Amino acid sequence: MDEVKLELSAVDDFAVREHRSLWGDAWRRLIANRTAMIGLVVVAIFLLSATLAHFFWEYEPKMDLDYGAKLLPPQLVATEEIDVHLFGTDKLGRDIFRRTVHGGWNSLRVGLVAVGISLTIGGFLGLLAGFFESINMNFWESLTLMTVLGLAMGALPAWIARQYFQMVLFAALGASSVIVSRYVEEANKFRRFAFPAAGALIGGLSGWLVGGMVALVCGILGLIIGFLLAKPVGGDLFSNVVMRVMDVILSFPSYLLAIAIVAFLGPGLEKGMIAIGIVGIPVYARLARSAVLSVSKKEYVLASQSVGESHGRMLFRHIVPNILSPIIVQATMGLASAILSAAALGFLGLGAIPPEPEWGAMLGDSYKYLSSGAWWAVLFPGLAIMLSVLGFNLLGDGLRDALDPKIRL
Amino acid sequence: MTPPPLHNQEREFTLGRYILRRLLSVIPTLIGVTLVIFLFQRLIPGDPAVAMLGERATEENVARIREQFGLDRPPFLDRDALAEGDLAGFFDSQYTRYFSRLIRLDLGESIHRRIPVAETLRERFPATLELSLFSMFIALLIGIPFGIASASRRNSTLDGITMVSSLIGVSMPIFWLGIMLIMLFAVLLQWLPSGGRLSTGIEIQSITNLLLLDSLITWNIPGFLDALQHIILPGIALATIPAAIITRMTRSSMLDVLQEDYIRTASAKGLSERIVLFRHALKNAFLPVITIIGIQVGILLAGAVLTETIFSWPGIGKWVYDSILGRDYPIVQGVTLLIAIIFLLVNLVVDLSYALLDPRISYD
Repeated sequence: MDEVKLELSAVDDFAVREHRSLWGDAWRRLIANRTAMIGLVVVAIFLLSATLAHFFWEYEPKMDLDYGAKLLPPQLVATEEIDVHLFGTDKLGRDIFRRTVHGGWNSLRVGLVAVGISLTIGGFLGLLAGFFESINMNFWESLTLMTVLGLAMGALPAWIARQYFQMVLFAALGASSVIVSRYVEEANKFRRFAFPAAGALIGGLSGWLVGGMVALVCGILGLIIGFLLAKPVGGDLFSNVVMRVMDVILSFPSYLLAIAIVAFLGPGLEKGMIAIGIVGIPVYARLARSAVLSVSKKEYVLASQSVGESHGRMLFRHIVPNILSPIIVQATMGLASAILSAAALGFLGLGAIPPEPEWGAMLGDSYKYLSSGAWWAVLFPGLAIMLSVLGFNLLGDGLRDALDPKIRL
Repeated sequence: MTPPPLHNQEREFTLGRYILRRLLSVIPTLIGVTLVIFLFQRLIPGDPAVAMLGERATEENVARIREQFGLDRPPFLDRDALAEGDLAGFFDSQYTRYFSRLIRLDLGESIHRRIPVAETLRERFPATLELSLFSMFIALLIGIPFGIASASRRNSTLDGITMVSSLIGVSMPIFWLGIMLIMLFAVLLQWLPSGGRLSTGIEIQSITNLLLLDSLITWNIPGFLDALQHIILPGIALATIPAAIITRMTRSSMLDVLQEDYIRTASAKGLSERIVLFRHALKNAFLPVITIIGIQVGILLAGAVLTETIFSWPGIGKWVYDSILGRDYPIVQGVTLLIAIIFLLVNLVVDLSYALLDPRISYD
């Protein structure tokens, strides 16, 4: 009898168990994971020290110069002549500890902003691509897409002929394609000819006002655009176009592309952020798209579709919360590689403009007087890069296990 | 849902179509790549000709640069020429000129030295290739055995050490590692040279321009040893990240395979662990690893910019660094294009071999 009673109370306990949210559970799993906690602590130390230093520890890089304290090795105890230099000094006599802590603000900021850029743009593109690839567009979405498509394609003949009203005409052509396919029965019979003809007329006739050759070129372009607009395209096309553009970006080794972009833009922290951010877009676009594709086949999405929920509600209420886990994990890992890329740019002299402290730039600087044997000048900034990157990687690994034990990246 | 098994003939048909489609998909991507690289030069703030030559450039030099880049032409299409009825002039633009030069394998001229970029590229590429191959060799030599060992002894001390060091390897700023290696082995211990490909006074007859290979072909042992001494440090630095990634990939792929039923069957019927590991598991665990190796080629070639700079390795990476400093944009464009094309082709080969090797893959 006793045993039965015990089992019953266990069931009871389970039933009245305090409610735990998904994220609460994930957090519990995360803090139970030792390596993840190490990562979290490391990341927290770097973020805190950089932020606190930036706001509360005054540092004026332009004024920092002390030839009397040139290239001193680490000095832990102050003597009469020399101050404490935890990490030693560099060739201008600047305290390396101070510059490393302040450099964190710049290095981490580049990483954060860059990941922010790639996450926002890439995530949004991937979300839409995945969503419209798996779910049919409704009338209004289709109308918007075709109008924008007409406007965008019409921009070329409009630019050539300097007649911007052509864009409006082509946009109308795109919109009418959707309207025709919805309201006119047996539309397929004529529209294969009618739309190209209409496009050729729009381009050709307005081009005629400028000149014969313009009429010819715009007419041909109009013919092609009309042909493309004849049938309303589905979301696959949108997804396809987005993914092909992503493929082009991905066909460059990522940080080589970042280096090349900044090489042409000219050095600077902000330019580095933008370049690293752009280069990272495809990663998030692909990840978001594939996550949406797998989630949108799930029963709860089909259910919400069948009860007639709006697409916006489906997307943000049912799909987005369920693809967040892999994206959060990827963003954490992405931070690690963005910090590495930023440091590489700084090292090549394409990041922070001296004397602004930044880990990569500090390394690039001290590397030039390597033969003097001043190991401390290269050891500590590099260690800062490695430890912060390692911290984000450990945290990302732990987050992956905590958020969803099943997902793989 | 698994698709119904295909008959052999059907499979060959879809496979052929997949291969054709994959081959054709390279063309638009390649055009996109040239477009991106062309657009680089439009990122230059201000007048590109002045940016390249500096403020004190002579009239004649500015005119030469304008001519070389077609800067007097519009970037893509010339609508003014069309309005005057000139159809050929309509298409005569910076981009079409750039593209038609590329088709003739003309990458332009270096601004400062006025030597064709393609020529120097041919000269310097073997150094980069040798370093990349050597690093890939080291990465595989470390990554695959450690990956296998750590998967077969899961949760052991060895596994723990391997995983931690591979995570450190992935987090390693290779330029820093390179500097520390120089500091330790070249400056403090003075065991190995700090840079360059060969010591002065040592000569190797050039056949392929891969020094290690050439010295072996001509049986030039002092030359081989000297070249080896020079390549070790940059090779290790460049191999770090790929080695770490390959270790992790081999391990996780092996762990996946080791859970399969046929592995349990194999051990249950009494086969030795070694045979199960190497004959049954490794063969099947290798496919994902091959894909990862393809991606590493991109990492290696891009990493060459940093590694070669640190070790004064006379390859294309160091050349790009020098050209960035000297604002010699055609060189940066040329090298980026070459690396992107190599990366694209390697990934193509990887995809195709993957399709040919794995009978389970579907091609839709």
